[in-house]
Amino acid sequence: MSKKGTTTFIIQRASAVLLMPLAAWLMFSLIVYVGAGYEAARGWIANWVNGLLFGAFIIIGAWHARIGMAEIITDYIHSWLKDILLFVNWLVALCAIVAVAWSVYNISFAG
Amino acid sequence: MTTRATSGRPLSPHLQIWRFTATMAASITHRGTGIILYGGTMLLAAWLFFLEFHPPTFSAITGFIKSPVGFIMLSGYIWALCFHLMNGLRHLYWDSGRGLAPKTATRTAWFVFIASFVLAAAALWAGVAARGAFNV
Repeated sequence: MSKKGTTTFIIQRASAVLLMPLAAWLMFSLIVYVGAGYEAARGWIANWVNGLLFGAFIIIGAWHARIGMAEIITDYIHSWLKDILLFVNWLVALCAIVAVAWSVYNISFAG
Repeated sequence: MTTRATSGRPLSPHLQIWRFTATMAASITHRGTGIILYGGTMLLAAWLFFLEFHPPTFSAITGFIKSPVGFIMLSGYIWALCFHLMNGLRHLYWDSGRGLAPKTATRTAWFVFIASFVLAAAALWAGVAARGAFNV
């Protein structure tokens, strides 16, 4: 983990900038579609523009969230638990990224 | 604490030592909303995953989101997104070396708090209105 501070700092800021327009689009769309039924939600993501934007938000967001959570973990946890939590944190973000990339590919591009 | 002594690294100040100021409240809220967004974004990932791979679970999730508790959780996520986004802009402004004077930082902290509620309310209103318009 050492000597990666500057890269992490830059990735956190760059992802923040990318997430801003995506979040503005998402907060509106979520309210419309997240409580919607199967067909409506499927139709929404089946449009590849929506699939791509949704996927980009989750993928970039998951990595941004991982960096933020790692910062909280290293601030407050100083025992052997720290490395386990950092690993779990990394694994959760990775799972979300893989699951979403796979789902968007299937719904928006392969369907 | 023994690990702290051995590693020799400074400990981050804990929440209870701070006197209330708007800047301190915004800082803590930034972390709090970050944690809310972490959980909510993982749920969104699950929402999409089940939309593709397990429709019955998807329907169960949708049913929950439509319930009053679900709507409150969705509204909370939207507000957290608004706050974190706008306070994030404040952070980026600081990174450029500006806006750090106590008076300015206090004023922008209050602005972010108020604007986050206004923006969240506007997004909720527009979204709910659009549900009818789009027939969803």
